[in-house]
Amino acid sequence: MTRSSPFSVRGRHALMVMKDEREIPIVRRQLHRLGMSVTELDPEQAIAPDVPVDVIILDADSIPIKSDTAPTSGINAPVIALIGTETPSRLKWLLDLRPASFLIKPLRSAGLYTALVVAFDCAQRRSEEAAYLEKLEDRVRARRLVFAAVLQLMRAHALSEEDAFTLIRQTAMRHRTTIEQLSAEIIATGGMPNRSSRTA
Amino acid sequence: MTKSSIPLGLVFSRSGPYAMMGREMEKSALMAVDEVNQSDEFDFTFTAHLRDPGGIVPAYHSACDDLIRQERVGHIVGCYTSASRKQVIPIVERTERLLWHPARYEGFESSDNVIYVGAAPNHTVVPLVRHMLEHIASDVFCVGSNYVWTWETNRVLREIVTSAGGRILAERLLELGETAVDHIVKEIIERKPPAVFNTLVGESSYVFMRALHEASVRAGLSIPTLSCSLCEPELKLIGPAASVGCITSSAYFESIEEKENRAFVARWKARHGTDSHVSVDGQSTYVCVMLLARAIRRAGSADVAAVRRAAANHRYDSPQGPIWVDPDNNHCFLTPRLARSAPGCQFRVFWEAHAPERPDPYLSNLDPASAGQKLDKGGDAAMKQPNHLRLVK
Repeated sequence: MTRSSPFSVRGRHALMVMKDEREIPIVRRQLHRLGMSVTELDPEQAIAPDVPVDVIILDADSIPIKSDTAPTSGINAPVIALIGTETPSRLKWLLDLRPASFLIKPLRSAGLYTALVVAFDCAQRRSEEAAYLEKLEDRVRARRLVFAAVLQLMRAHALSEEDAFTLIRQTAMRHRTTIEQLSAEIIATGGMPNRSSRTA
Repeated sequence: MTKSSIPLGLVFSRSGPYAMMGREMEKSALMAVDEVNQSDEFDFTFTAHLRDPGGIVPAYHSACDDLIRQERVGHIVGCYTSASRKQVIPIVERTERLLWHPARYEGFESSDNVIYVGAAPNHTVVPLVRHMLEHIASDVFCVGSNYVWTWETNRVLREIVTSAGGRILAERLLELGETAVDHIVKEIIERKPPAVFNTLVGESSYVFMRALHEASVRAGLSIPTLSCSLCEPELKLIGPAASVGCITSSAYFESIEEKENRAFVARWKARHGTDSHVSVDGQSTYVCVMLLARAIRRAGSADVAAVRRAAANHRYDSPQGPIWVDPDNNHCFLTPRLARSAPGCQFRVFWEAHAPERPDPYLSNLDPASAGQKLDKGGDAAMKQPNHLRLVK
């Protein structure tokens, strides 16, 4: 995965979900200055546009808290929340959208670039963390396999648990594979697989 | 001697969805302006410049922009909804003017360029919920208009009620102005909740109260209803039968037995007719103009910074009782009261705080667990500020 810098915003696409007639031109103008393209969506319209979106700029006050539909719910992009009302009921609603950054209304031209950079960085970190988490979850799921492989080697070669695990770990390193994958092969073949080259 | 004239902006919606309240507030502002202008106590007069945004949210911004640029006003009294106030705040902050805001609101705001004369949430919803928990029920059915006042009031209600072991039985919301209430009334009659908390506003509320009353009579039920916003002119609109018996929290009722209030109500009725009624927001608008006039007199100038300093902690014995601006957050110390609506478009006050309570717009001194305790005993623990309570007959 190529890691794009959060500071380079040119060419990215923003979805503006805003209602305020004075604030829309401020955001639109600033995004164009930054070289970004824009799609504008009326908050009362429940249909998300069919374009790839890199960031959503959402006026939090424009959507009723108790509404069933959020127009951006199906889009996987970081949200910059524009906040006018700081009541806890509104902020709780906002937290459920997991905003990546925010701006306080009334808006000025300053601040939007910072909000974009924070949002892009946050989105990048979130996706890296999600990938790492998935890897960890795979390893947790594979623990049963590793345990079964250790048991098999202990029985077959009269090894202690520690020695059996060390054998698997060292063999995995030599074969340039993971402990989990080697364990799966040990179980499948009924013993230590006999190979010398790298496993795909 | 000719008095100097100070331009004053008045921004109230005489038309649009909450025109009734806008007209009440404007009438009160003009009454206060006339009293200041005719009084020997002030060496200046106000020249009122009226604007009617018609209840259209962006129109509040253009109305204030026009008042500041064209009429050169330093001070504006007006707004009713939070949405309208939030339109005005950027322009008064940018141009260093003062907005004197009469209406109670849900809190969580504190601008240096707004004097919040209406009640903060610790003045309204908190004592009402305490009373409900102590005297009525711990389970409650909520019905309200789908906007920030309801969302936030219900949130505070939910926190206190659930901390006390009670339950929110339902939260039914109607769009602003919606009058199709039958499905909610039917549900209430079927489920028979021990209390109904009503944060509907305007016509939705009047239609709902009439429908609930009729259905309750037919079903032989009597379900207590509670409100943080009901006022005398609304009782008249709801009608004689359905408007009686609603437990209401407010800083002002027309029936307050203070001499300042009796004189104020007499002047009001002389001006607007004996069958007219003062509302909490109307009275508060009058108080806004008076607080401003007194601060200008004290400062010796209408300069915003000087007026703000002069208004801070300066006590005014208003119709609603002693009131003063807390310079910590620009909201007002005022006396919370609870009353029950009665025949003749009146409220009978049955509880009031012993002294004006410090405004707490962020409810940062509220501990929901102790707020659920008794109103006139352990309830004090919920406020850092001593809250001596007294019962009134």
